[in-house]
Amino acid sequence: MTDQISTSAGTENVTSETPAIQLIGLTKNFGDTTVVNNLTLDIRRGEFFSLLGPSGCGKTTTLRMIAGFSDATQGRILLGGQDVTSVQPHKRNVNTVFQSYALFDHLDVEGNVGFGLKRKGLEKAEISRRVNDILELVDLDGRKTAKPRELSGGQKQRVALARALVNRPEVLLLDEPLAALDLKLRHRMQVELKEIQREVGITFVFVTHDQDEALTLSDRIAIMNNGVIEQCGTPEDVYERPKTVFAAGFIGTSNLMTGTYSAGAVTVAPGVRVELPGHPELIDGSTSSIAIRPEKIWIADFEPDMVRVHGTVAATVYHGATTQYLVNISPEIQLTVVEQNLVRSRHDDRWSDGDSVEIGWKPEHVVVIG
Amino acid sequence: MATDSITQTRRGRSVEGKPKFAVAFTAFFMFILYVPIVVVVLFSFNSKKSLSVFGGFSTRWYQQFFHDEALLSSLRASLLIAFVAMLASIVLGTMLALALERVSSRPARITGTVALIPLVTPEIVTGVAALLFFAGLGMKLSLFTVILAEITFSISYVAVIVRGRLSSMSDDVEEAARDLGCTPFQALRLVTIPTILPALIAAGLLIFALVFDDFVLAFFTTGVDPQPLSVRIYSEIRMTISPAINAVGTCMLLVSVLLISLSLIVPRLLGRKDSSLDLISGG
Repeated sequence: MTDQISTSAGTENVTSETPAIQLIGLTKNFGDTTVVNNLTLDIRRGEFFSLLGPSGCGKTTTLRMIAGFSDATQGRILLGGQDVTSVQPHKRNVNTVFQSYALFDHLDVEGNVGFGLKRKGLEKAEISRRVNDILELVDLDGRKTAKPRELSGGQKQRVALARALVNRPEVLLLDEPLAALDLKLRHRMQVELKEIQREVGITFVFVTHDQDEALTLSDRIAIMNNGVIEQCGTPEDVYERPKTVFAAGFIGTSNLMTGTYSAGAVTVAPGVRVELPGHPELIDGSTSSIAIRPEKIWIADFEPDMVRVHGTVAATVYHGATTQYLVNISPEIQLTVVEQNLVRSRHDDRWSDGDSVEIGWKPEHVVVIG
Repeated sequence: MATDSITQTRRGRSVEGKPKFAVAFTAFFMFILYVPIVVVVLFSFNSKKSLSVFGGFSTRWYQQFFHDEALLSSLRASLLIAFVAMLASIVLGTMLALALERVSSRPARITGTVALIPLVTPEIVTGVAALLFFAGLGMKLSLFTVILAEITFSISYVAVIVRGRLSSMSDDVEEAARDLGCTPFQALRLVTIPTILPALIAAGLLIFALVFDDFVLAFFTTGVDPQPLSVRIYSEIRMTISPAINAVGTCMLLVSVLLISLSLIVPRLLGRKDSSLDLISGG
């Protein structure tokens, strides 16, 4: 579970290999509640890193500790190899994009974006040049004199992004920056955000509860739950090879089955044995959880090496591009099957409720969770 | 259909469709409320000395007012009281509002409620209490004691108005300022204060207007000379009823109406115009 998380604490000489952020045993208590629990994590330079989890999992608190708005109860925070655990927010070389945007109402777009540079004491010409450049990057060069209240949600979001990026921080922290936008705009901003990140090459730490967003944008994702990291890895890692029951359930839909392993199969319900070839590490008599993604389960046209199970269709939901079947393989176990509507394009071609079916999957698509 | 037309009327704020007695009652109420004021303004331009018969238009009572040294010194005293009370209560009231908005502990909530008490306490109680307090301390009553009492009285108003604006300002805004390189004090000076400035101006104008023509508190806490204008007018009326008082009253009315109007208009103007705040916000 922690093999993805290596820490190079102790490395004090800064090289290009030094992670942008190192969190070492980071803990935050609010009263008796532990919100972040002994978190250890390295975030690489130039990486688009997401902290993904349900609300209350500690992801925003972690971000606030990195920014310096919240003090760590225990543990250390290193930025570019420098310990900043007790450094004030205005002295940390990070900038934040807030969920609420937190624009300054009394300043126009130019004033908002130039605010940080002005604080740094840069010359007027330099400020104006950099503000212009960044506004061009976020496509707002025509709205320099607009006040925040005159902007749309998407434009405010861009101003907030520009205001943070213009300072060229070592790390950009983004706290659910797209949550307030409507779906269409959110998708467009996701693409833009990724492009901007590639262009500027700054390390992005992105907090979100939206798994699609995390999968789409991130180089790596840390899935958080109850103040700890459940799994950390590339989008493919966390989607295809979930390591905990929580990770399997939180990202996408997973068919989870638990039972006793013996002789190459798991008994998931009385009389229902699911074959599990290729797992010599499992000991007979041990309890195993297995997870299979709905789109990895076939409902017809099987290939020879597939594991097959009998079941009954309980419900059919037509989604246009796909059809979702709920298949009972025992009275207690219902599996979700998603099929692309590549061949079966008419109602009569598909299965309906009560039909007896056989479903199957490739052995390598089964993930065994601890 | 019928309900549709009713809702439309309501939206259009039309009098049509409202019960007739309500309209009549409102009109009567307005009449009772404003007729005495209109009479005062009218008779301030009376050429006769009478307070019941209007003889013709003249500005003699205004001339008399502007040559009455005692009244003028009272006017200056009232302006001074209002100005100092305004500045002091803005500073203290804003500090109180910031604290109450930031701290969410039980003592803070209790303090928040206690801070509102002056708004509902009868002014005469505040006045008597202030008098007893000053007497207990052995302080000689003067303009200074009036100013102290008026400040105490005004802090609540400022706190209420400023809190209203603060609560609509996201906590993130100050954190954003910190994030962009501000020390806590710079964040207050460069972001929080400019953001709540319209509320500060509105509160200031309101306090000035309230304190300028306040009578009860001034009456209990003032010394002998110079007296605030409202107290002076009261003592003059007790001896002789001079139409010059009408002129003074009209002047005070004008100042109050002007200030209250400004306190309503200025925040809107500030909200819409560019660059008017750059003097304060610029670094």
